[in-house]
Amino acid sequence: MIVFDQVTKVYSTGNTILDNVSFHIKEGEFVVLTGPSGAGKTSVGRLLIRDLLPTSGSIKIEGVELAELKSGQLPDLRRKVGVVFQDYKIIPDKTVFENIALALEIINYPGKQIADRVHHLLDLVGIPEKDNLFPIQLSGGELQRAAIARAIVSEPKILFADEPTGNLDDATAKDIYQLLLEIHNLGTTVIMSTHNEKFLPGHRHIHLEKGKIVADTASSSHSKEKHKKADD
Amino acid sequence: MINTALKNIRRSPYQALAAVSMTGLTVFVVSLFALVSLASQLILTSFETKPQVIAYLSDDHKTEQVNSLISDLTTTGLVKQATYVSKDEALKIYKESVGNDPLLLGTVTDLGIITADVLPASVEITAKSPDNFPTLVSILERSKIVSSTPNGQKEIDFPQDVISELTAWTRAIRTAGLILASILSFNSVITIMIIISMKIASRRYEIGTMKLLGAKGAFIIKPYLIESILYGAVGGVIGWLASYIALLYSTPFLAARLVGIIPLPVDPLVMLALLAVLVVSFSSLGLFSGLLAAVRFLKR
Repeated sequence: MIVFDQVTKVYSTGNTILDNVSFHIKEGEFVVLTGPSGAGKTSVGRLLIRDLLPTSGSIKIEGVELAELKSGQLPDLRRKVGVVFQDYKIIPDKTVFENIALALEIINYPGKQIADRVHHLLDLVGIPEKDNLFPIQLSGGELQRAAIARAIVSEPKILFADEPTGNLDDATAKDIYQLLLEIHNLGTTVIMSTHNEKFLPGHRHIHLEKGKIVADTASSSHSKEKHKKADD
Repeated sequence: MINTALKNIRRSPYQALAAVSMTGLTVFVVSLFALVSLASQLILTSFETKPQVIAYLSDDHKTEQVNSLISDLTTTGLVKQATYVSKDEALKIYKESVGNDPLLLGTVTDLGIITADVLPASVEITAKSPDNFPTLVSILERSKIVSSTPNGQKEIDFPQDVISELTAWTRAIRTAGLILASILSFNSVITIMIIISMKIASRRYEIGTMKLLGAKGAFIIKPYLIESILYGAVGGVIGWLASYIALLYSTPFLAARLVGIIPLPVDPLVMLALLAVLVVSFSSLGLFSGLLAAVRFLKR
């Protein structure tokens, strides 16, 4: 489904952020992208939605070469790939409800059904009573949940969660991880980047260091026991 | 979309006020010039449709001579209409023009009642253009049946100067109005464009996020275009209202001076038609201004 083939990204400053990176992610996989800060995890996400173009190499999603997309085709790509941004990118002067509804308005979701869909997502991410609050009134964990709700509300095929547990305490991080698992179980291909592998056993790990893949474990199925273990 | 546009307006009321007042001022001036231009055209038309050249005939004229004179005039191709007014018809016209005034009808004077005998017959000519007056007058001056004053001057009336002056004034008013309206319209476009550009720039974070969520350019700029159209439309209504109030205020003054030339007060339907034209024109101008700002943003 997602193919990175010898992808290199060098910024105009001369800083190489990804160096000859290749991997293939199948539909329905849950992949954990690990590595220290600056390893290139966020750049992978930005390349996935063509917020960046690779300096060399090829990136394909469902067989489509991203570099060949015209600017008019970018919205379609970005609707296919939901992103939970590291800095949330929640619009500060819109309520939680409005932020999530925005993703639906963008895809021309039927107006009358937007409220139902948003409330359903707020239930799913566990903040049903926060709909009318502004981002500044939410805790870090609640903001993260709102960002996840916005990323998945339009049912993208792929979800890239960039350090979704980065600034959270262990209990909240565990909840967020569980939430991503639930989304994955609904059929979404999930790529989660993190520098904290504490709660993520049993998944395929792609480990990046200084822009290079240093380890890529094989994907394994998630048995209920493994999930339970993680829960414990 | 409309709600977003209205929210944008509420968030920066002073910017909205600047856009609406600039557009309103432009519409006010355009509306006034449109009315003045219409009025001057009506005045000019009124003068042009009335007989412009009147040649008084000597009492001994014959019908054939009159027909020959009218034929000479019409064959020039410069005449819209040339008619013979007999003494009786002249009396009838005189009576219609003075109404029932006994003094002017001569019923209370020692001179006795005005009769057809004291009024001369005439040939009344409506020219196609005031520029043709000299040619027509020269034909009339050569005619033997046109009466002369004791000092030998032919009795021909024609308001050459009035028509020429009026035509010149009408043209000048139109030109001045057009130039002023163009300058103010340009200022309105620039004002709306700058305001919308500032709004787009101040919401760069939100717009960037929307792009990352898959929003198309049209989705992003639509609220700003609606906002621009609203500035044009609201400015149009306010400007029109101001000009209508100014017109109603000056109607008593104008009505006394333009009797028989322009019917006052102005028909409300005319004003409503003007409102429709102004609102549509300035909404389009607002849309154009918003598009200028949005295109600059989309090109980035």
